[in-house]
Amino acid sequence: MALLEIDDIHVFYDKIEALKGVSMSVEEGRIVTLVGGNGAGKSTTLRAVSGLLHPRQGAIRYAGETLGQYGAHEIAAMGLVQVPEGRRIFGRLTVNENLEMGAFTQKNRQQIAEDRERMLTLFPRLRERLRQVAGTLSGGEQQMVATARAMMARPRALLMDEPSMGLSPMMVEQVFETIRTINAQGVTVLLVEQNALLALSIADTGYVMESGRIVLSGSGPELLDDERVRRAYLG
Amino acid sequence: MSATTLTLRRFNAVDVILWLLRIGVLLIVVIGTLATLIKARYTIAQWLDFVMFGLTIGSIYAQIALGYTMVYGVLRLINFAHGDIVMTGAFAGYFAAAGFDRSGLLESRPVLAMAGILLVAVLTSTCIAVLTERIAYRPFRRVQGLAPLICAIGVSFFLEQTFRGLFGSSVKSYPDPSWLRAAFVVFGFRIPRVDVLVIGLALVFMALLYMVVQRTRMGTAMRAVAEDAEAAALMGIDVNRVIVFTFMLGGVMAGIAGVFYAFLYKQVYFFMGFTPGIKAFGAAVLGGIGSIPGAMLGGFFLGMVESVGPTLFLDGIGIPAPYQLRDLIAFTLLIMVLIFRPQGILGERMARKRA
Repeated sequence: MALLEIDDIHVFYDKIEALKGVSMSVEEGRIVTLVGGNGAGKSTTLRAVSGLLHPRQGAIRYAGETLGQYGAHEIAAMGLVQVPEGRRIFGRLTVNENLEMGAFTQKNRQQIAEDRERMLTLFPRLRERLRQVAGTLSGGEQQMVATARAMMARPRALLMDEPSMGLSPMMVEQVFETIRTINAQGVTVLLVEQNALLALSIADTGYVMESGRIVLSGSGPELLDDERVRRAYLG
Repeated sequence: MSATTLTLRRFNAVDVILWLLRIGVLLIVVIGTLATLIKARYTIAQWLDFVMFGLTIGSIYAQIALGYTMVYGVLRLINFAHGDIVMTGAFAGYFAAAGFDRSGLLESRPVLAMAGILLVAVLTSTCIAVLTERIAYRPFRRVQGLAPLICAIGVSFFLEQTFRGLFGSSVKSYPDPSWLRAAFVVFGFRIPRVDVLVIGLALVFMALLYMVVQRTRMGTAMRAVAEDAEAAALMGIDVNRVIVFTFMLGGVMAGIAGVFYAFLYKQVYFFMGFTPGIKAFGAAVLGGIGSIPGAMLGGFFLGMVESVGPTLFLDGIGIPAPYQLRDLIAFTLLIMVLIFRPQGILGERMARKRA
């Protein structure tokens, strides 16, 4: 059974139906990507999974449990952690405090220290900036903080919303490298991206979304070769 | 020709009035201060009295302002009932103090009695602060517009009238133990003990609060929620728990401040929270609402200005009994801040929220 199953969810903003029956499944240990244009409903899907929005219809199942009744903080504590769109790091807190907040659900002090060490090895740039207020970092460094912060929660599945947004091509490359590293450590990744080419090239499975519906799905390479995907997203 | 008309147009009537206001206030302050100093009708000892009182009342404002600023930080709500939470603390402290006074404990064991009074006051004000959040504010959490503010005003009335109903509308005089009436003599100047006690303990409690906010996990979570509650929830932080924690901290400071305020003015009554509440709210705005150091700074600054200001600014201009105009000075200062620096002394503009 898949680690995360989204089963025909309908999400409304007031009277506007943003998701019109979305179904996806994310197998444990994979990289799954959800691509599509602006306003297709990609972020809405992730917000629903994280419990920030509640579907009016349909169900989201994670590790055998239906998420419907849980709040966002409980879902995060269950190991389903999101790196939100635009990073949303705590800009007035230091980098170290940001990491500490990522580990909010963790109780074992020693394990937290080890996790922090692991993150600082993964992102050596952050080590020099530990005591610095996070809002003063560059966009690329802020993305590192956001990713490291989420990883401090020891996620079983990491949801990433547009991690490449607003970054230089070189930084984007690094972000995707990091995603691969994290995945290789056994963390399942659900990646939402506008940059379909890059996302599909590292994904095991891909879903293409258009105005609130999944219109296409398949393996990463399959979708990269698909005529319709090429025309719509890859130019 | 047309260019000049355009540049002239930019100075509209409002600008002119604001500039006149600025210049007028500045003139009054400068001329008044100089005249007062030249006349030299007050002795050093008297000025020292003003300063000490300013610091004392300022430390109380600072403590109350912390409650406003922290709740505003996490909820963007102006908790109008906070002054009345202070009142509940003062009342609870009064009953403890009156009890200790009757049993003689207040005279014989000052430290123990004071600790007992503070404990009772803090427990009461904290419980009431947390209850108001749970019962009144939480249902309004997701409501836009003015409703939460109106609700806060309602809570304020509710607390005032409940205490009036329970304990009457008369003014009760706080016990006044002899050890508090005495004064220290330093270099020949008298410094009232109550001032030293209030300022000293206020500084200790504010330092403790600052440590909690800066160094503990919950304190950090509070700052995280203040910045971005949704991102905090995504990290597994229970935002409701953090909000309760915030009201608790505010309630603790309110209870302490209530006891000090009552000891300073020697009385309690159901409406006593209103004026210090409004002024402390002003102090929080003055320092930059949402900022914790700002609230402390704003409290002391407002206390100083309203204590020293009337005599310093107005006596020289020949206004009789300027001391009675201290509220005027205090609120003029607040209006000036709102007009000329709405974000407060340490406040940052709301614009740079998300990088």
